[in-house]
Amino acid sequence: MHNSEVPVLKTSRLSKRFGKRLALAEVDLEIRPSRVYGFLGPNGAGKTTAISLILGLLSPTGGHVELFGLDTRNHLSECLRRTGAVLEGVSFYPHLSGRDNLRVCAAISGGGCESRIGEVLELVGLTARARDKERGYSLGMRQRLAVAAALLHDPELLVLDEPTNGLDPAGMRDFRELVRRLAGAGKTVFISSHLLNEVEQMCDDVGIIKEGHVIAEGPVAEMVHQADVMEMTVTNADAALEVLSQIDWVGLVTRDGSDRLSVEAPRARAAELSRALAENQVYLSELRPRETTLEDFFLEVTSPEDKR
Amino acid sequence: MNLTINAEMLKVGKRWMPYILFVLLVAGVAVVVWLFGYVAYKEDQNFQEGQKALRTFAYPWTITALLDNGQFWGTIIFVAIFTSSTMATEYSWGTVRQAIVRGQSRAAYLATKLLGTTIICAAALLGALGVGLLFSAWASAAAGQPITLDVADGPSVPELGLMVLRAGFTIIPYGLLAFCLAVVGRSTALGVGGTFVYMLGEGIVVAILKGLGGTWSDLRDLMIGHNAASLLAVNRIGNLEYNTLAARELPRADELPDVWIATLVLLLYCALFIAISFAVFQRRDIRG
Repeated sequence: MHNSEVPVLKTSRLSKRFGKRLALAEVDLEIRPSRVYGFLGPNGAGKTTAISLILGLLSPTGGHVELFGLDTRNHLSECLRRTGAVLEGVSFYPHLSGRDNLRVCAAISGGGCESRIGEVLELVGLTARARDKERGYSLGMRQRLAVAAALLHDPELLVLDEPTNGLDPAGMRDFRELVRRLAGAGKTVFISSHLLNEVEQMCDDVGIIKEGHVIAEGPVAEMVHQADVMEMTVTNADAALEVLSQIDWVGLVTRDGSDRLSVEAPRARAAELSRALAENQVYLSELRPRETTLEDFFLEVTSPEDKR
Repeated sequence: MNLTINAEMLKVGKRWMPYILFVLLVAGVAVVVWLFGYVAYKEDQNFQEGQKALRTFAYPWTITALLDNGQFWGTIIFVAIFTSSTMATEYSWGTVRQAIVRGQSRAAYLATKLLGTTIICAAALLGALGVGLLFSAWASAAAGQPITLDVADGPSVPELGLMVLRAGFTIIPYGLLAFCLAVVGRSTALGVGGTFVYMLGEGIVVAILKGLGGTWSDLRDLMIGHNAASLLAVNRIGNLEYNTLAARELPRADELPDVWIATLVLLLYCALFIAISFAVFQRRDIRG
C-alpha cells in the first residue's frame, strides 16, 4: 500500500516544447493519496500533454514526474503497472470484441487480472455487448471499455483524460459515482475534463491550466467559496443606495434591476446591513450571499483579459 | 513474454489480412508448380526449357525452386505487407499508447511485436512451402516422375532442413527492413512500398553493377540481395536451372560472395535495422 505521506503523483518543473511552441511550462503538481484531482483548462491548454508526460508517452523537455515516490525516469514500467489510464481518443483493436480487447490489456499488464474481466465489464455496464467487435461500439461504449481497461489490474492511481466524453447523462452520473466509490476505496484519481460541473461534483482538488501554465490550484471547496457579495431585493432601491454608500465596510454596490442590488460586503455582517437599511425605512424582501461556481472561477481565471 | 506473445497471436489471429495474404501465397505457389512447372513441361518435354520446367515441380529440385521463389515472393507478398501492417496499425489504432501506459517497456513492446511477427511469418511461409511440396508431389505423379531425393548431388533429409533455414534467413533482413520502415514512418504504405522498391530496385542495380564490371561490380557485395543469393546458391542441386519468378538472376555460386561473409553481411543488416527501429521507438513521442 502507498505511504500516505508521499504524493501519489508529483511533477517538478515539468515542461514540454513541440518545436517552437511551449506546450507545458514548468508545471508543479502534487496529488495526495485517495484524493480526486480535477485538471481543468481550455482546449489546447496542455492537459493532454501533461497526462502524456505523466504516462511516459512523451519525453519532457525539462523537469520530471514522480509516481508513488519513484522517479519515472528510472522506474516508469514499475510505476505504470500500478496506474490505470483512460487516454483521449480511441486505443483499442477494432476487430476484437470488448472482452478480447480486455484480454490483450490483461496480458500486457503482466497477467493475473484476466479473472477480473467479467467484473470490470459488469462495472461499466458492457457485459451484454462484451462479445461484439469494438468497431461496432458507440463513442460512449468505447469510453466505458476504456474505463474497464483502466480498472482491470486494480491500479492505485487512475489517470483519466476526458473520461466522460461521449457518455450520456446517465453514464456520466454512473461514472461520477464510480469515481467517488474508487476514491472511497483508497484509489487516487487524476482526471482531466472540460465539464466543470462534473469536476465540481467529483473532485476534492482542482488545478487549472492555461497556455501550459498552472494558474490556480487548490481544494474545490476553496474555489467554490461563498463570495463576499450579497444579492438583495429591497423596497426602495434609491434609498438603499443612499444608505449603503454611507457604510464604510460596504464596497461596490451595483443595481441589477429596479429593486435588486449586488453589494460587496462581508457575509458575516449581513444582519448589520439589514438593520442599517431597516433603520432608514428600507426593507429587504430577499437577502442571500452570491455563490461562486467552479465555472465562474474557471472563467474568471482563464478569461483572455485575466480579470483576477 | 508468453502472455504478450499470446496476446499478439490473438490480435493477429482475428484479422482477415494474414489469411488473405496466405491464400495469395498459396496461389503464387500454385502458379510456380503448375504453370511454370507442370504445364510448361507438358508443352515442351524434351528441350532445355522443358527440363527447366521439370525441375520446377519434380523432386528434389522443386525444393530449391520453391525456396528460391518463396524467398522473393514470400517476402513481398507476406512478410513485407504483414510486418508493416501489424506494426503501423498499432499507431493508427492508438494501441501503442495502450501498451505503453500499461507498463510494458518500449523495448519489450517492440521485441514482442518482432517475435510475434516472426513466428507468424515463419508459420505462413512454412505452410506455403508445405502446400508447394504437396502440389509438386501431385504434379510429379501426374507427369510420371518419381518422388525422391536420390539424384546426383541430391540433398539428404537433414540437408533439407538446412536449405529451409538458409532461405528463411535470407528473408529476415527484408522483413526487418519493412519493420524498420513501418516503425520509423508509422505507415504501412512506407513499410510495404519501401521494401518493394528496395527489392525490385536492388535486382536492377545488381544487374547494372555487374554490367559495369570492375570495382563497380564489387559494390554488389554490399547489397542484401547479392548476399542472400550466395546462401540460396548453396541450396541448388547440381547447379541445374529451374524456372523462377523471382525478379533476379538465378544465384550462381561462382559470382557470389563467400557464404560465411554473406551471412555476416546479412546479420549486420539485421542488426542495423533492429538498432534503428529500437532507437527511434525508444526516443519517440507517442501522440494520439
